[in-house]
Amino acid sequence: MGNQADAEDVVQEAYVKAFRALTSGEFDRRSSTNTWLYRIVVNGAIDAKRSRQRRAEASDEQIDPGWDGAAFAEARLALSELDDWLQALPPEQRAALVLQSMEGLNNTEIAQVMGVSEGAVEQRLVRARAALRQKREQS
Amino acid sequence: MTEPEDLEQRLARLSSATNQLRPSAGFSARVMLAIDHAPAPSFLETTWFSARRLLPVAAIAAAMAVVWAVQVDGTVDDELATSYASMELE
Repeated sequence: MGNQADAEDVVQEAYVKAFRALTSGEFDRRSSTNTWLYRIVVNGAIDAKRSRQRRAEASDEQIDPGWDGAAFAEARLALSELDDWLQALPPEQRAALVLQSMEGLNNTEIAQVMGVSEGAVEQRLVRARAALRQKREQS
Repeated sequence: MTEPEDLEQRLARLSSATNQLRPSAGFSARVMLAIDHAPAPSFLETTWFSARRLLPVAAIAAAMAVVWAVQVDGTVDDELATSYASMELE
């Protein structure tokens, strides 16, 4: 998300959805709990990212990073750098790359989380890396 | 002059740097509050998702019922054929 406040909103929403799914019996345990929770968070993050981009385009607003600037300054700088760097990628490619490089998931796990085939994950990762390399060469 | 870092090195550096990020103070309390205020699943929702789990059992039961019906039908045909044959002999 590139913004801790937005990320916390997404995680909070994911917890609420997970709680409701567990109490209503919607979670059928066909996938592991870990994969299922990742899926809820990733889908929520992709939706939030899209709506945030639409809002920003519509109002030309500058997105507030929402940081207090005190604690974890280095980590937050890194998060900001990551967000700027991955900004140009489509949300699905970005999510696949973050799940692999930041969360350490393998292609099979990413495929389960994103609800696509391993081939599609591979394609997203290749395209994401190609786009980042192209961006670097242009700059 | 240092070598510019490649894509994988940059990803690894950012991954290790962002690992230090933790939720802000009060995050857990906010989540618990949101869960407390979340509407409870309706009776229909709960029934639907519970019933969905019984679907494979129901499908197997239906298949077994069809097999049983076909077997019984065959037995009845055999019995009828025997009785017609004995009537003709008489």
